[in-house]
Amino acid sequence: MDNNWRIRLRRRFRPEGDPNLVRVRRRKAIVSAFSRRVTFLRLILLLVGYIWMVALPYPQLGRGIYIDENALQPGQVNTYWGWGDVHNSDRYLDDLERLRDSNATSEQRAQYLDTEFRKIGLFSSTQTYQFTSQDINGTNTYAILSSPRAPGVEAMIISASWLSRIDDGNGALNLRGVATVLALAKFLKQYSLWAKDLVFVVSDGYLDGMQAWLSAYHGTIQSNLEAERLEMSSGVVWTALNIDYPGHSFSHLGVFYEGLNGRLPNQDLMNSFHVICSRMGVPVVLYDHLDPRSYPDRRKELDWLPEWLPGALRNDPEVRAYAYNARNVWRHVVHQASGRGSGVHGLFHQFRIDAFTMFALPATGPHGFHALGRVVESTLRTSNNLLERLHASFFFYIMTAPNRFMKIGNFLPSAVLISVAMMFTGLKEWSDSGWTQETLRNAEKSTETQAPGWTRRPRPVLRALCIMISSHLLGVATYLLMNSGWDGQNSIGGMLVLTMACIFAFGVSAVCSKSDRGGAAPIASVLKALNLCFASTIISATTVLNFSLAASLAVFLGIPLSVSSTSKNLPLRASKFSLYLFLSLGWVLKHERLNWNWEIMGVWLLPFLWIVYFPLVLQAGIVCLL
Amino acid sequence: MHWRPACLLVLGIFTSLIHGTHIAEEQFEEELVIKSLEDGRVASTFTFTTLLKDASPRDPRTLALEDDEPQHYTLFPLTLGQLLRQYAITELHLTLNAGKWKYDSWGYPVAAGVGTGAELYAWLADGAPSSIDERWQGLRNALAGLFCASLGSLDEQRTTSPHLSFPPEGLLPDWDGLPHEIRHASHASEHVCTENLTPFLKLLPCKSLSGLASLLNPHRMFDADWHGMGLHVLWRPEGVEVRLNFQMVSDPLRSSTKKQDWSFSSLYDRTVVRTCPVAKSSRAVVSLPNNGVYSIVPEPSTIEAGKGRYDLKDKKPDETLDIQMQWGADFEYPLTSPASLVPFSVQRKLHGPTQDRGQLALVLQNHGSETIKVSYLETMPWLVQFYLHTIQIKVDGVRRDDLISNISYVLPVPHSRPATFYSILTLPGRSTVTYTIDVTKAFLMYTEHPPDAQRGWDLPPAVFVLLDPPSGGQHVAAQGFRVYSPSLLVDLATPDFSMPYNVIIFTCSVVAFIFGSIFNLLSRKFVIVRLDG
Repeated sequence: MDNNWRIRLRRRFRPEGDPNLVRVRRRKAIVSAFSRRVTFLRLILLLVGYIWMVALPYPQLGRGIYIDENALQPGQVNTYWGWGDVHNSDRYLDDLERLRDSNATSEQRAQYLDTEFRKIGLFSSTQTYQFTSQDINGTNTYAILSSPRAPGVEAMIISASWLSRIDDGNGALNLRGVATVLALAKFLKQYSLWAKDLVFVVSDGYLDGMQAWLSAYHGTIQSNLEAERLEMSSGVVWTALNIDYPGHSFSHLGVFYEGLNGRLPNQDLMNSFHVICSRMGVPVVLYDHLDPRSYPDRRKELDWLPEWLPGALRNDPEVRAYAYNARNVWRHVVHQASGRGSGVHGLFHQFRIDAFTMFALPATGPHGFHALGRVVESTLRTSNNLLERLHASFFFYIMTAPNRFMKIGNFLPSAVLISVAMMFTGLKEWSDSGWTQETLRNAEKSTETQAPGWTRRPRPVLRALCIMISSHLLGVATYLLMNSGWDGQNSIGGMLVLTMACIFAFGVSAVCSKSDRGGAAPIASVLKALNLCFASTIISATTVLNFSLAASLAVFLGIPLSVSSTSKNLPLRASKFSLYLFLSLGWVLKHERLNWNWEIMGVWLLPFLWIVYFPLVLQAGIVCLL
Repeated sequence: MHWRPACLLVLGIFTSLIHGTHIAEEQFEEELVIKSLEDGRVASTFTFTTLLKDASPRDPRTLALEDDEPQHYTLFPLTLGQLLRQYAITELHLTLNAGKWKYDSWGYPVAAGVGTGAELYAWLADGAPSSIDERWQGLRNALAGLFCASLGSLDEQRTTSPHLSFPPEGLLPDWDGLPHEIRHASHASEHVCTENLTPFLKLLPCKSLSGLASLLNPHRMFDADWHGMGLHVLWRPEGVEVRLNFQMVSDPLRSSTKKQDWSFSSLYDRTVVRTCPVAKSSRAVVSLPNNGVYSIVPEPSTIEAGKGRYDLKDKKPDETLDIQMQWGADFEYPLTSPASLVPFSVQRKLHGPTQDRGQLALVLQNHGSETIKVSYLETMPWLVQFYLHTIQIKVDGVRRDDLISNISYVLPVPHSRPATFYSILTLPGRSTVTYTIDVTKAFLMYTEHPPDAQRGWDLPPAVFVLLDPPSGGQHVAAQGFRVYSPSLLVDLATPDFSMPYNVIIFTCSVVAFIFGSIFNLLSRKFVIVRLDG
């Protein structure tokens, strides 16, 4: 009996006969089974990918945060920050408010800060900077506390920008943040336990000041920046804490962590911060998102769930948790995909410095300088414990709630699945374009059982490639055009680009339709195949660099590129093309801001959109026109 | 005393080989110098000098002969004496420091060797049966054992011979023209602590029981902002001198007090109760400030050239000495950068956030109005390699490559020898000279990564020596004084050793996949198979 079963199993996997023949047959069977179902398969992949994306905020997909690096030991120390230091902060704040009321210039403010740092006994200096392309200038102030006994090869930064992030650097001042930095400098100098130098930076402006300071510190000054050389310097910076305290008091500390170009800080740093805050009794939130479940009376303003939802659904705890997480994930995706980061801390990541902003959420209470100082002191003590750079694979995550996150394996496949679906669509299009179903002349004469034959036909690969390459070159050209003097006149530039794109698309379709050779595959089909394969590759490659960008691409390119097709009806073709044109250029409305990001901070979203995204969608539009 | 004739006999035979005998006169002196610094800190320097009169270093040629020379010392440290004889060392300097010496606000230190970490250099003559490098290795290991410091890691990967920047401090004996050579190595990540101080104290005749050495309280020494110890052995016409020094810079203002007051009890938490009976001289010297209202208790016995001297030998047996300086007014930090106390200052940085390329940047500022010349020595481990053709020198933004001269460069050998880069830089008066050179960072074999937590590799400080100071200036004393730049930390490409399993799996899969498919294609026999149907 047992033997019989074994033989059957062997027959199943190793049938009798020529093994080569069997293998070839098996392979053919697999391939044909696969290609018969490829349409269904890619639909499933697309569906699963999109559903996965929507399911990302689902609480069960994430897990609780934990500390990976044992050396950190967060919250294990006694803090010494006391009411005397709060008093110092208040005095500094008085001075800063006086400066604000007297409309002090950057230099005057820097002068004041420099003097205060010197009074504390720190080496202090100022740095003036100017971005030549954007007419931005200012003066940064920084002070270095050389820690006792240390050779000064490692450092930690405590920073505050003059402008708060509360309205995205549009004028609200971060006076309390700056006062905290000054008071901390005075306080931290009293202790000999620092193993790394402490660098206090008060940067001017919002993002520009810190960008200038960091570039000068690392000796990588971009061409449009004139920044003074730093008079003093310390060692390799490992961690940076940015303090943003715009209000009078705060109720929660918000964590902002996304950096430039989708970089994230090591999660251990934020996890430590969370642990420390919990020990100190200061609640932590992500960004400035209060959990509506904790504030039933403010539900209307905080909740993401619309009021027309049925009550049973609206009050379901799972749904509410999902809605809260979804809000956090959405904010994360917006910050990360835009490449701009979510604040001053984002500028540090490009130099391998783990940094985040602690944002004191304005409220009438109950916390103030006392809580903030203790939290910062303890966080600094924690990063002071570090024996090595924060590492492990704690750089790929999505925070869904202050104390929950998603690992890379739980979110990466969603975008990859969509890109695989696009790849399958492209490959199917490719193989379809190479074959034609010959309607044989003698088909009627022969018996009905005879299947119509498939014959090969040449594919105009070279022409399709030429279209693709020239469309990307068009992208480069428009990018150069928009960045050379057109930045002031976006509407004219936008119109010009629109015209150029139309001329290009119609020109290409006219040229192609004229030179259409008989017997060859339609160029639209080959172009679509290559376009899909290329877009799919780009999405897959981007997933590990900037997941949010890849996910956005998957949404914007996934279905639109897969459904592009030509039609006989001219108005339909034209309207389809105009839809694609809108998809490819709709973001130009935000060009000014993107351009600022690119020129000041080197956020490569703008060149990426011009050189990669716009041509890809344009190619799909051309497919419709052909 | 029956051994004495035998000893004399041996002495008669080996008169030329000996640097210490029981009949040599020994002399021990100790001194403490305390100085209030401009930034509110207080520097104290302990110097303990033992002189072995009429002794001379051992001739290395006698290393071939059996050494049965007894070494009878009363004050001279025996363990050190044995070590010097064993390896025939002419001159030896060992410093173990922690912290960054701020020349600009602290001025030059009393003892020059203030480079971060451990630094060891020795002058030895050739001619022994064993080579200089073998004896250097023995010396390193012996000193590592003696001082409980990881000097054993000052191996050939860190050893250089920079004879120009480290000239002998004493005399080199002339043994029929035998050449003397220098061996130098430094280890910036070495930390000095209590385990180094204990053997240091054991080399002193009174240990830490009496005299100035009783002030060396590890709890306070190692809490100071800067501290370092040094051992120096050199040969002078009078004899062989062993000088031990301990320098520290304490911050009386650290603990939220507002005055720069200090006393023995506040600085060291100790007072001098007994004097060292065998010390020939024992004194404390306090630099008296030029301005400000202060009082010093007790009054110095003599005051000359702004320095108050105390002779501990005058102390009555029943009194304890606790010198106290008290200020009338609160200390106020200067609100503008005060004029630098040194003729030139140095800033050194390693730029470039990537792990394969970088740029070493020096910024030298000449504070005086006259042109000065400094020698610049870089003893760089092979982890960082220079591209000499990329040297750029700029003065206030204008390129001036003529300011560098006398370049000598010993190439590094990967995995074995460091590079030695020596040159002379000319600094025009009141100018800021920036010097940059592109570097490449090495890719290590995985066995070369240290097994412990990886913060990066410490690069030793560069050494600058002022060659010809401006005539008549205040910095004549600065001539020939070694100035150490801060050390650096370099980040090399480091695999994430915390997850070797993942790395192994990934690597093996990729290799297996590539090898498997290529091997399959290469070894496969292609045949035509006809499928029926």
